[in-house]
Amino acid sequence: MAPRFLLWMLVLLVLAGCGDNSEVKFPEMVGAAKDFGAPVTGDWLVLHTLSDPEQLNPLTSSDAGSSEVLAYVFEALLTRDPRTLAFKPLIAEARPEISQDKLTYTFKIRKDAKFQDGRPITGEDVLFSVKAIKCPFVNAPFLRVYYDSLVDAHLVDPYTIRFSIKEPYFLNESVLGAIAVLPRHYYDPDNLLAQVSVRDLTQDPAKLPDAVKQFGEQFNRNYSRDPLGSGPYQFNFWKTGREVELVRDPDYWGNGKEGIDQPYLDRLKFRVINNFDAALIRLKSGSLDYMEVLQPVQHVRGTNSQRFKQDFRKYEYYAPTYTYIGWNNDHPIFRDKRVRQAMTHLTPRKQIVESVLFGLGEVVDSHIYLFRPEYDKTLKTYPFDPQKAVALLRDAGWRDTDGDGVLDKVIDGETTPLRFEIKINSGNAVRKSVALVLLDELHKHGIAASVRELDWTIFLNDVKNHQFDAVVLGWQMSTTEPDAYQVWHSSQAANKGSNAISYKNDRVDEILEQYRREFDEEKRIQLYKQFQQILHEEQPYTFLYVSKRVSAVHRRFQNVEVFPDGLRPIDWWVPASRQKYGSTLTSR
Amino acid sequence: MTLNRTEAASFKTIDSETSSASAVLSRGLWSDVWKRFKRNPIALAGFYVVCFLVFIAVFADFIANDKPYYLEYRGKTYFPIIRSYMVDVELGRWPAELLNVDFKKLEGAKAVFPPIPYRATGINLLEPLEPPSMRHWFGTDKLGRDVMAGMVHGSRISLSIGFVAVGIAVIIGVILGAIAGYFGSWADLVISRLFEIMLSIPTFFLLITVAALLPPSIFLTMAIIGMTSWVGIARFTRNEFLRIRNQDYVTSAIALGVSDRNVMFRHILPNALAPVIVSVVLGIAGAILVESSLSFLGIGVPAQLVTWGSILREASGATFAWWLAVFPGFAIFITVLAYYLVGEGLREVLDPRLRGLR
Amino acid sequence: MTAYLLQRLLLIIPTFIGITLIAFLVMRLAPGDPAELRAAGGLGAAAGAGISVEKRGAVDEAMAQWRSQYGLDQPLHVQYAVWLKNLATLSFGESFKDNQPVWNKIAERLPITLTLNAWSIIVVYLVAIPLGIYSATHPHTFGDRVTTLAAFVLFAVPLVWAATMALVFLCGGDFYYLFPPGGLESINFSDHWPLWQKIKDHAWHLFLPVVLLSYDGFAGLSRYMRSSMLEVLGQDYVQVARAKGLQEKTVILKHVLRNSLIPQVTILASILPGLIGGSIIIETIFSIPGLGQLGYESVLARDYPTVLALLTVTAVLTLIGILISDILLSIVDPRIAFGRRLQ
Repeated sequence: MAPRFLLWMLVLLVLAGCGDNSEVKFPEMVGAAKDFGAPVTGDWLVLHTLSDPEQLNPLTSSDAGSSEVLAYVFEALLTRDPRTLAFKPLIAEARPEISQDKLTYTFKIRKDAKFQDGRPITGEDVLFSVKAIKCPFVNAPFLRVYYDSLVDAHLVDPYTIRFSIKEPYFLNESVLGAIAVLPRHYYDPDNLLAQVSVRDLTQDPAKLPDAVKQFGEQFNRNYSRDPLGSGPYQFNFWKTGREVELVRDPDYWGNGKEGIDQPYLDRLKFRVINNFDAALIRLKSGSLDYMEVLQPVQHVRGTNSQRFKQDFRKYEYYAPTYTYIGWNNDHPIFRDKRVRQAMTHLTPRKQIVESVLFGLGEVVDSHIYLFRPEYDKTLKTYPFDPQKAVALLRDAGWRDTDGDGVLDKVIDGETTPLRFEIKINSGNAVRKSVALVLLDELHKHGIAASVRELDWTIFLNDVKNHQFDAVVLGWQMSTTEPDAYQVWHSSQAANKGSNAISYKNDRVDEILEQYRREFDEEKRIQLYKQFQQILHEEQPYTFLYVSKRVSAVHRRFQNVEVFPDGLRPIDWWVPASRQKYGSTLTSR
Repeated sequence: MTLNRTEAASFKTIDSETSSASAVLSRGLWSDVWKRFKRNPIALAGFYVVCFLVFIAVFADFIANDKPYYLEYRGKTYFPIIRSYMVDVELGRWPAELLNVDFKKLEGAKAVFPPIPYRATGINLLEPLEPPSMRHWFGTDKLGRDVMAGMVHGSRISLSIGFVAVGIAVIIGVILGAIAGYFGSWADLVISRLFEIMLSIPTFFLLITVAALLPPSIFLTMAIIGMTSWVGIARFTRNEFLRIRNQDYVTSAIALGVSDRNVMFRHILPNALAPVIVSVVLGIAGAILVESSLSFLGIGVPAQLVTWGSILREASGATFAWWLAVFPGFAIFITVLAYYLVGEGLREVLDPRLRGLR
Repeated sequence: MTAYLLQRLLLIIPTFIGITLIAFLVMRLAPGDPAELRAAGGLGAAAGAGISVEKRGAVDEAMAQWRSQYGLDQPLHVQYAVWLKNLATLSFGESFKDNQPVWNKIAERLPITLTLNAWSIIVVYLVAIPLGIYSATHPHTFGDRVTTLAAFVLFAVPLVWAATMALVFLCGGDFYYLFPPGGLESINFSDHWPLWQKIKDHAWHLFLPVVLLSYDGFAGLSRYMRSSMLEVLGQDYVQVARAKGLQEKTVILKHVLRNSLIPQVTILASILPGLIGGSIIIETIFSIPGLGQLGYESVLARDYPTVLALLTVTAVLTLIGILISDILLSIVDPRIAFGRRLQ
């Protein structure tokens, strides 16, 4: 009886144990910096991606997973120099001609650019791409909103397109330059959009012809999985939930051309692993080559062995996101700026960066990215000073009158304890730690705060409807020219806007409005410096820290460099002697 | 039929006699059960472990706390732990010199601290992720919180989730099972369909759905676990009621005109409890396991609380910190095992016994 | 017999409605708006800059349009009726996340989860039945106590712990590399491989997940087998068989085993609902693209159509399983078939 099942177990074990223990053998990694000569093509890059793309439609997908992949497949009119961040033409021949009144932009299109199926790119395709964005039946309302100011576009000649804008805004060049060029013959084979102009599309959707509606439905439904663009990498397959594969286009139009990024790697495989620990294990065992984001703990403890260092190189760099505590400026407790300043003094920001982030970050005091010229370096950071905080609170009227350990104050005739709730979204361990550390410090000084963790959609809802006392959140900062209007202008507080804390300052409003119309960079910088100084005094947020990111890349990849926007796998190549997956471009 | 008052009174006496008869049966049964139970060393060991855990849970504040039992300071003596209870129920206040103070750093004070001189939620950013040492017997987590303190206080949560969730399950299950088993016919039909529905729904999935969508709270978690795990109890109860219903003492009680409710809950139920008891014990074990899975997935536990599952969750993000995985994992394991052994021991003792009574 | 079958089939209908109703209500009544989630750019947009207020009007309109397209602005009972109607035509609608027909997403992942669970059911039976038999034939011996204790110990080990430890210690990383750290196939898996190689690769990847999914079933089933076999062993006809002079082995094989195996069929019905539940943890930890993982992600993304579809599909599968096991039982065990009529 017992032996019988043992036999079965043995069979199973044998079957399982027969598996390959090392998937592909590593070529020997010897020596450090060696000159491998000129870049060659070949080999694959297996990247870690945290979540499966929702879909691979260039316009309707909005998640991080898809944009990561589509960035290699599609190209836009302009791009940015990775180092200087200056505009560089891509599909366009040069930067646009801008009219005196800043309301007309004219782009000339390259004549040698082609799509991945060999067909040339013409003005018609660019016009189509614009119409697709503006089409109200295409499921991309949040992208469309950025092009609200674009009221018309038409072709001056087959290779020249002219845009008409509603109001002057110095970032319009960036917005127009970012239009992804889609092949009309692929995404609209029946030319359904030919009959309407861009101006027509801005009118009442009900008056549009049926063909437009048909296009929208078709576009939404049939193009989620097979993107076709003009970029250096073509879509090969997508195993849902597991992997997306892109293959280098050997006939890429940009091959050998100056000023265009040259691709070398034959395949890009995006492996979906939604768990960081599992991903690190796969990195170490050879089934991943590149992890863009290592968790702080993994960086400090899990990736420092001899063997790891032999196989991988780590890169530490600033990520343009910052985390903050947002105080609801309409809340009776937080209306007083002294209370807000006290909170900042009570937050051990440096200690948090050291202990919670393992040093992977830096304390910041402003909304602007650290490396932008607009950043005000003269801001004096608020030190961690509980004494000062208690003094500020006392000034503001808070003291413990009933000996229960909690500060209180008489507000509207009632003795109110200094009690409030900090909301955070679930699934973010770092923010949770930040909230808990703050909580502990607050409790020590008589402030009865509590933390509430909410599911993302509920949390988002509460934030937008201003149902919170305090929140821990983050913003993505732009490495290119910033625009703080959406977050800090008082008009953005109503109607679920991004000014969720209801911040209102007339001078700041003025500055933000003036800034948008200012085309002179120096003057813009001055304006924003004033803006940051006001915020610094008022502390509507307690700015916490800007994050640092650590990436791990297998050593065989050459030309790996850190740029303001991070790493650029498109530049990487592997010398022939070290290639792991060979250099055949045959498909599976 | 109509009864005059004296007749009714005499029926009442008979009623109470039969019920006290079964009560006598029950009391005799349980002390007998205990005697037989003691003969099983493994189950007995489990029982002692359970008692130990309950003790820790109840006295957690006295076992792990950063306030001392006894404090001599500036000429006066205090009992801070007791005082903190009183302040919480608003029967006392802190004297100014002891307000929000770190008791370990009081100058010139003589204090007697509990064996684990830390709070479960006491953050200490200077000592994150320390391995077990003389200072911290089970090490610390990523925010410097003492793991042993966390486990002591976490036992409260685990055990209370177990008790309350199963309590809810028992109430729902026994009532529904009793009705189905006693009345039979269409009540049974409808309720059995309900069983099928509950059994077919993937409970863990449902749990995740509900717990993830609603704001995290311990009570909610207890309630949901309870509301999804009553079917086993209900079925056992139903089967027992079906079986016992046809026994002589029951049919005679009914013939005597005892109300349905009384028959069900005073005559049948005490004898139907045996499998329910076993289910209760096993159910507590199950609830603790489920709670640890939910905590691990980050669902259902409020951010400030430290539970066994939440410490385990941290372990998966810091795999070198083996103490974060071993101790809570082991604690969950031992607790569940103990309950399971007790449950099995009880089943062994009660089952054949019941058969003997038939 | 056919009357019984018919009755059972008819009774499935209210059960089915009950299940779908509960599932529907849970999803709809929970707070959180999928339209808003789409507006925020999915779950990854924790730090995006959001939409400015002037454009808010356009966004709100877009969201309203989207909601009406999916019928989310109708009253609840209408939504439920519509959904049931679609169900009749086997159309589960389209996922909110990526507009793919939900049925496709489920069909893609169903075989994977089914394989995983089928194997684990097989393993549970293969291990637990012999264990149970051994315990029953050597009751109260040391061996019996040890196997019992071992089974309990396994039951008590939390799945999340065991899975994490397995992943860390056995799957590469800093310790041993005996098994792959997740996924269903190796990175250089090719369709050109011979069949046996493909099977080997899949087996290697599935070994740990299957073992982890099954270990807690050992306790329950082996105990159940043991007690049912003990009950049969105590019956009169077994004594008679022994008295007739039959060898112990024949007695067991011919009479006891068959009769004690019968109730094990019913356990199958109660294992089935664990299909998605147990898989969720394993599939998440081992990155296996099955229904459990889909369920978890869909819940977080408020992808109503997918969650409802998953709940329904699992419920239906379970109902079918219960029905089959009930029917099997009544065919095989005449006592029950007759007994029911007496009740």
